[in-house]
Amino acid sequence: MEGQMRINSAKDLEKRQKAAQKSRPQTEQVIHLCAGAGCIASGALEVKDALEKAFKAEGISVPIKETGCLGPCARGPVLLIKPEEVFYEGVRPEDAEEIVKQHFKQKKVVKHLTHRNFSNNQQVDTAKEVEFYRGQARIVLRNCGYIDPLNLDDFIAVGGYSALAKTLSDYTPEKVVEEIKDSGLRGRGGAGFPTWLKWELTRKAKGTEKYVLCNADEGDPGAFMDRSVLEGDPHSLIEGMSIAAFAIGASRGFVYVRAEYPLAVSRFGKALEQARESGLLGDNIMGTDFSFDLEIRMGSGAFVCGEETALIHSIEGKRGEPRPRPPFPAQKGLWDKPSLLNNVETYTNVAAIMDKGSGWYSSFGTEESKGTKVFALAGAINISGLVEVPIGTSLGELIYDIGSGIPGGKQFKAAQIGGPSGGCIPKQYLNVPLDYNTLSDLGAIMGSGGLIVMDDDTCMVDVARYFLEFVQEESCGKCTPCRVGTKRMLELLTRITEGDGQEGDIERLIELGEQIKDTALCGLGQTAPNPVLSTIRHFRHEYEQHIRDKHCEAGVCAGLVRAPCQSACPAGVDVPGFVSLVGEKRYAEALRLHRERNPFAAVCARVCFHTCEDKCRRSTLDDAVAIRGIKRFMVDQEVTIQLPEIRENPSNAKRKIAIIGGGPAGLSCAYFLARLGYSPTVFEAEQRPGGMMVQTIPAYRLPRETLAREVRMIENMGVNIVTDTALGRDFTLKELRSQGYDAAFLGIGAPVNMDMGIPGEDAEGVVQGIDFLKQYNIRGSVPVGKKLVIIGGGNAAVDAARTAIRLGAETVTILYRRTQEQMPAYAEEIEEALLEGVKLKTLTQPIAIEKNGVGKVKGVTCACMQLGEFDRSGRRRPTHSDQQNFIVEADQVIIAIGQQIDTSHFAGELDIHLGDNRFIKTNPLTGQTSVDWIFSGGDAASGPVSVVSAIGDGEKAAVGIDQYLTGESHAFWREEKVVETSYDPDAEPVPYPREKIPVIGTDRRKNNFEEVERSWCESVAIRQCERCLRCDYGKTPAKSGSSVE
Amino acid sequence: MAVDAQLDQKETDQGACCSDQLSEEEMASRIDEVIDTFSGVRGALIPVLQTAQNLFGYLAEPVLKKVSLRLNIPYSEVAGVVSFYSYFSTIPRGKNIVRVCLGTACYVRGGKEVLQSIQDYLGIDVGGTTDDRVFSLEIGRCFGACGLAPVVMINDHVYQRVKPSKVKDLLVPYRASEPCGEEE
Repeated sequence: MEGQMRINSAKDLEKRQKAAQKSRPQTEQVIHLCAGAGCIASGALEVKDALEKAFKAEGISVPIKETGCLGPCARGPVLLIKPEEVFYEGVRPEDAEEIVKQHFKQKKVVKHLTHRNFSNNQQVDTAKEVEFYRGQARIVLRNCGYIDPLNLDDFIAVGGYSALAKTLSDYTPEKVVEEIKDSGLRGRGGAGFPTWLKWELTRKAKGTEKYVLCNADEGDPGAFMDRSVLEGDPHSLIEGMSIAAFAIGASRGFVYVRAEYPLAVSRFGKALEQARESGLLGDNIMGTDFSFDLEIRMGSGAFVCGEETALIHSIEGKRGEPRPRPPFPAQKGLWDKPSLLNNVETYTNVAAIMDKGSGWYSSFGTEESKGTKVFALAGAINISGLVEVPIGTSLGELIYDIGSGIPGGKQFKAAQIGGPSGGCIPKQYLNVPLDYNTLSDLGAIMGSGGLIVMDDDTCMVDVARYFLEFVQEESCGKCTPCRVGTKRMLELLTRITEGDGQEGDIERLIELGEQIKDTALCGLGQTAPNPVLSTIRHFRHEYEQHIRDKHCEAGVCAGLVRAPCQSACPAGVDVPGFVSLVGEKRYAEALRLHRERNPFAAVCARVCFHTCEDKCRRSTLDDAVAIRGIKRFMVDQEVTIQLPEIRENPSNAKRKIAIIGGGPAGLSCAYFLARLGYSPTVFEAEQRPGGMMVQTIPAYRLPRETLAREVRMIENMGVNIVTDTALGRDFTLKELRSQGYDAAFLGIGAPVNMDMGIPGEDAEGVVQGIDFLKQYNIRGSVPVGKKLVIIGGGNAAVDAARTAIRLGAETVTILYRRTQEQMPAYAEEIEEALLEGVKLKTLTQPIAIEKNGVGKVKGVTCACMQLGEFDRSGRRRPTHSDQQNFIVEADQVIIAIGQQIDTSHFAGELDIHLGDNRFIKTNPLTGQTSVDWIFSGGDAASGPVSVVSAIGDGEKAAVGIDQYLTGESHAFWREEKVVETSYDPDAEPVPYPREKIPVIGTDRRKNNFEEVERSWCESVAIRQCERCLRCDYGKTPAKSGSSVE
Repeated sequence: MAVDAQLDQKETDQGACCSDQLSEEEMASRIDEVIDTFSGVRGALIPVLQTAQNLFGYLAEPVLKKVSLRLNIPYSEVAGVVSFYSYFSTIPRGKNIVRVCLGTACYVRGGKEVLQSIQDYLGIDVGGTTDDRVFSLEIGRCFGACGLAPVVMINDHVYQRVKPSKVKDLLVPYRASEPCGEEE
């Protein structure tokens, strides 16, 4: 069929279209096999061979069409079977036989190859049901995945070249430009310049020799939409460029493609040949006096050639250096002739606009930005690939609804959009519409549409450094701001990521960046500082952490990180060190190493929320090392508690330091001060020290004797603990000062409950979560109802629920307004609670507490919620759904929705500033407050976080207090220890899996507070230790924590 | 059409084979044929150089001189173009070009670790060639396969989701095979 009929008129095209459609009846089965470069790399061609073989063996004939990109690259190889629209993913050659036998012979869908939607975990058969395709509007990608790009008749059958025919017969060049103007199309290459204006300027430019140029030098790392069009629908680009040529009066054109896309070059080259053979390129196209031909020029690996003047130089055969504008290419372009330059995506829109009209096109998008945009989703996202959505779709919809969110249970951190010229968008802005103006307000750009999703394993300073390194390598060197300026910026960033950052570096980066923006010659130079400026704008704290704290939380910057687990630990425990020592059965040494940075080893072995495991590199192989399990085994081996190294110091011993609050922050502060030879006094308001560890954490999680042992250890180090003595009740800060105290640490926690602000909260039987737990844990008994409702999703709510179950409540129901995944409580705790019989009602918002005649609680009226838009925490905001309200019966309601600090103890006494979050404002490195002799940390300073964060805060404040009193830092424990354990770096990682920590059966948990978790036996623990990949191996100890300015 | 000739060339001469069978003088004579196919093409310098690079694996000085003479472009300008674009090399390269993508997606998905492990295995730095001239190592800036990051391109074949611990399995077949081996 190919080349049979030359198309000499619009009628010929119609005839050929009809013939092509006739030979392709819609009802016949055909396999669309994605043959985009992504799926080919995943083995699509091998799948095709296998399918053909299998069909032959079965004697069936079903055509297999190699199409362009179907979208979800990460799921490749993918195929779509028409007309039933069944979508198979991850197909391997071995599956071919099954597909042929089951799908084509038995007419049954091969379930295990279908897609499983992430939101509801449902297998779906057809492409329509796949979440990835929902919300998409495919204009640019209209044919990608539906036609065979190497078959012109396939293209003509779906209406290809009819827009060109219509244009040539019905339009004048002026009217074409007008149509494009009405459509609102803007340049899709990055800057978003109105397309019609470029066309109009080139059309009006003097001269008969004009050129149409296409920028297919898709240099932005992370963008691959142009490649997909060239590979999957090359004729649409030819058609769009032909229409443009007609509009501006050009007869020749060039497509500049990067050499890195060999498949795109070859497919587009073949399409050109086909178009020429059929008379769709060449002289007197379709019998009109319009003549046009196109050539390919390949790039040679220079990013700057994506800039229009540089690209033109490169086509001319010169060095691809930009030149100042004006004159613009519309006046003086290729070989000094007026030239129109747009990118692939822009041209690909043109035929669709001419075909369906500007009104149709402008119905997509927002007021300011019309149409659709193709995005290349990549990075930390479940389904990466190519998507096309109406402009104005929110970032959150793109990432969560279409891309199915972040893999591996990690948190979304930022999206990088626009490549080296663009910026990062943090989670607060998940809800903003992706359009030209909004993005530029946020310091990013639409760019070519590369969208890299980053999770919390990404260090933003490192990302900025990466882009500058890229720009620095790709700078053409013509102008000084770009050549030298970016080099200076890169040096600063490299220094920061290596741990040598200095105060003022951030300001220097901003100053340099602004200057480069103002003075560089071309667009690439002017936008080069964007990645740095935008990360400073949204993630300044990370820069500060690198510079002042010498800490990289994401565990990326090699100069600051020994092992990511250690960097992730708020207390900085040498995790690989103690794990490897346990692996060699050197338990005492392991524990000693642990207590170098964290005195509460036994406590944390039970209650720590283990951020170390979240960052464990082993999880990229299989699962994270069960670090907390190893720790639990380690602490269980301790017989007599050992004291850590204490450096006696007579002058320190004379100084008086008050620690107010005997929780984890205060006790840890006292512990580290004692190691420096101080003898601090801890004032605890309750009868027993331990703070939240003793007041709210139930004994089935943390046996009281375990805690008491470690508290006794601290007392034995020379720390004096005074109980039943409360700030504001028994003493004041001013009194302490007058008694000769040199410094004080405010570790008073955040023990005040927040009210819900709903009717009926005053009913009898409504109690606060913290009060409930405290009363039981300290006094030993608390009234418990039969039908309990607990409101809230944090650890206090779950602790209260599990405590109530143990105390004989018949039903315990937790109400939470978001989903289970969004509950702040630890996932393990929620699971155990459910096993113990706690009921969980999520997406449920209590709106009133109902009372009976005598004012006693009888139930909670609840509204059903659904997830709406993204809020500033990056989570979906629950909004009221249409479902009817309902009542949960209850005779007791426990409210545990959040805690606040009680400032009344010191209010009006001293001018201690609070931060925006209404907690005490401190220097993050030293814990110093606005009053120089008062330091703070833990929940009082950061809001309710965790035991281990409080311990880390206590340590920092101890170092800060020492520095305040002596002017120097003596934190000897911060020096990294060289741990002499054997490790073979060449050995393959051991295959053992992650093990669960054993627990006692649920039947044994009723009516008692016996500890639920148990310890492993030795062999299990040792095996688990061997799973550690020893990321610390061969690393010189990292730079020790900062000295304070 | 000259560009189509260039495309055909690229398809038949994948990678950079045959380079060590030709002396630099022989290359200089074969370049004549290449230049002939581009006669009358405006701005032919870069396509000529690309074709020569594909054919010979690198651009030797005699080749560049010949190009300068035949296209009537000063040698300084030819050398300027060659040094500007990273695609061109003036020194011999290995039979197999290993390019590790350090585009953004690959970078955040661990491309750096993959590069390090290939460097360790081959014992060469970026831009280097192994002593036996089997491998040259380069950095790529995005092959547009971001959905499959991190990727490595060996000659024209893209390998997806490469793990640092598995780079050996990737490279060994190329070492064992004839030049231009394209097997998995």
